[in-house]
Amino acid sequence: MEFLQAKQKQDPDLFLHRMWIAGQPVMLAGYFSLIDLPQTMMLLQQQARHAADSERPLSALASGLGERIDRADEQAVFTAISDGCLLVVPEAECFEGYLRIVPVSRTLSRSIEAPTTESVLRGSASSFNEDLDTNLGMLKKHMLSDLLRTRSYRMGKDQNRKLTLIYMEKHTDSSLLKAVCRKIEAHLDKEIPDLIALSEDVFEFPKWSLVTRFNTTELPHNASAALGQGKVVLLLDRYPFAIILPSMITDVFSSVNDRNYPLLLANAVRLLRIIGVLANMLMPGLYVALVSVNPDVLRIELAMSIAGSREGVPYPSLVETLLLLFVLELTLEASIRLPKSIGPTITMVGGIILGQAVVQARLVSNVLIIILAATTIASFTAVGFHNAITIRVPKYLLLLLSAIFGVLGLFVGILIVSAYLASVKSFGVPYASRWKNKRSPNG
Amino acid sequence: MDKSMQVIAVYLLSHIGLIFFMYPTDIIESLSVGHWCAILLGFACHVAVIAIYTKGLSYFKSQSIIDIFAGAGKALAWILLLPVSLYFLMMLILTVRAYAEIVTIIFLDSTPLWAVMALFLAVAGLISFMGVEAMFRTGLLAAILFFPLLLFVLSVSFQNADWHYLYPIMDKRSASFSFVLERPYLLSFFAFAGGFLFLGFIPPYVPYKRRAVLWTTPVLLPFFFVSVYVPLLTFGRNTAVQFQFPFIMAVDTADISWLMFDRVTMFFMITVICFALLFISLVMWKTTLMIRRVLPFVRPDLASLLLAAVVFVICLQIPNWKMVERLFWWNTYLRLYVVAVIPLTTLVLGIRRRRKGAAGI
Repeated sequence: MEFLQAKQKQDPDLFLHRMWIAGQPVMLAGYFSLIDLPQTMMLLQQQARHAADSERPLSALASGLGERIDRADEQAVFTAISDGCLLVVPEAECFEGYLRIVPVSRTLSRSIEAPTTESVLRGSASSFNEDLDTNLGMLKKHMLSDLLRTRSYRMGKDQNRKLTLIYMEKHTDSSLLKAVCRKIEAHLDKEIPDLIALSEDVFEFPKWSLVTRFNTTELPHNASAALGQGKVVLLLDRYPFAIILPSMITDVFSSVNDRNYPLLLANAVRLLRIIGVLANMLMPGLYVALVSVNPDVLRIELAMSIAGSREGVPYPSLVETLLLLFVLELTLEASIRLPKSIGPTITMVGGIILGQAVVQARLVSNVLIIILAATTIASFTAVGFHNAITIRVPKYLLLLLSAIFGVLGLFVGILIVSAYLASVKSFGVPYASRWKNKRSPNG
Repeated sequence: MDKSMQVIAVYLLSHIGLIFFMYPTDIIESLSVGHWCAILLGFACHVAVIAIYTKGLSYFKSQSIIDIFAGAGKALAWILLLPVSLYFLMMLILTVRAYAEIVTIIFLDSTPLWAVMALFLAVAGLISFMGVEAMFRTGLLAAILFFPLLLFVLSVSFQNADWHYLYPIMDKRSASFSFVLERPYLLSFFAFAGGFLFLGFIPPYVPYKRRAVLWTTPVLLPFFFVSVYVPLLTFGRNTAVQFQFPFIMAVDTADISWLMFDRVTMFFMITVICFALLFISLVMWKTTLMIRRVLPFVRPDLASLLLAAVVFVICLQIPNWKMVERLFWWNTYLRLYVVAVIPLTTLVLGIRRRRKGAAGI
């Protein structure tokens, strides 16, 4: 009791409220900011009245109200309070310990909304939000199965963060599950403020990795599909994405939503994405290689027209390309930061005014503008934002190699990128392999 | 887990990487008529060698050839494997040097030779350092990415073919196989014998089915034929024999009016060079495996780096194409040894082991 009062002096948010339940004085303790106090008190009174009607003492009532915490266990008391629970402290000496009650809490999460980073055209469109229980509930709604299993962890020493691991019994490969669980259980004391911490401290993935070792998705639909494929899904409290382990190269090209289209269309779209990703990586390099190292590869008319458009551009094509790519990357980055109302303005300034002016000022050739515009558009054909930003990086390697070795450098660059992708492994599952479904529902 | 797909991909790629440059030159030089005899003979040897080799390996459950030979006695292992490692080293030097020369001759005439060699060795070293499993997955990825391009160019290469050059089909010289022991023909074994040894090194890391690889060998045959017959059909033998790289010249004559590129050869050559790079990294990996077997304290990354550096330095010492050709010829002895001795020894050891096993039971 005394330590609660001491705590209240440090933290005015903590309330100690006296009330009578079933004719006995009790003290309620909890946070104003997390608990809707009037509603909770009403609920308590109601329950007490029911208990009094059936003429039971408070100690018996206690067992029906909530969970008992030992009086000496200060740590448990504080954990309960900071979790947003209400603590009932009976003042009568006959009752030892406190009661931990789930109160009516304030609404501190958004309601379920449509996704903001993944748009769905033909499929379920509700998205995860910050509340872990809501997310879990949504996932369970999508996955009505008695094979669904969850494991709950609390990560971190100073900050407690809830982490829930979800998998499908019989579908998930047991070695994968074991590897994931072992990593989590070995690092329960690590704080995970962000995904990098989760990836480096908990799963011990290499620090300098180009590909994300886990997929994130906003859509319960995607997460449940991944579960059905035998992957493992993690939900982190206050993080509105599900984390899917392990991620595969096919995730860059195919989305769950594709399966709502006829197979032919779906495959065509996937092929389009592959071409898009390849185009994004290859086109700047190809331009530099063809303009500055191997112009003889091009048809003579085309070579002439490109050379004509570069007339008056004072620097080599590598510098030209890098300059414009830099501006494009800036535009992309800025458009993420900008509020929605200013975004279109920037697009206009960046796209039309800058593009037009830069050609007229003979700073870059207009062929390059076309190529880089296509490159930027192509980069977002990849599924998932994290994949789209991943594929932005290798094109610079390819660009550099093509500036030195021409088309040979470009192809060798592709080989290097392939080799890198082939070397990535997470939990023993190679990134560049087809995900083998242990038990597919449709054969 | 069975990874036959990856093994097949690497098998095809590494051979295709070797076929298209020197092989047609040698075959066209060795015969004036009836080249198909030479190709088929070489190919039959190739299939037989692979069959014997994999049969021998199949007696040992997922053991690499180093373990197999070491199990038969340390002295034997040294005697058998020392020439193999020497062969690998020569192979690395020759392939890197020759392909760098080809690149500078054909399309990077202003780039210094050492830069191209450095690129090759750096990339091959990097891939071999990433490990054999990654290498095989890379092989599959490269096959998926580059094969359509390769097949396109191959089908285009027949554009200027004059089928009359097929005749006469045969003459006395080709029928009597008198060309077999001559220098150009022996040189042509470069394409057949270069790439099959890896099948014995990978079983502990990349398991595969013997049957799958054997069934894939016929897929290579059309490539051998195309590489020799496209220049023959395009130019005729008398002209084709004058060129250093007849197949490249033949593809260069193809003109596709609807394509934005003038020289599709370049893309073809580069895909082939990428395949060769994969082959080089595979040989590098095998060599480092042997080095580390003898010197177990050398770290794998250091071994790759050292090997690449040594190869680079030796490549720099080779002054011209004449020297490359001479080295190729010297390497032929080692190659014949590798083709004949290693598969047969493996088979003998395998049979002996089975007998022992049977006697033991």
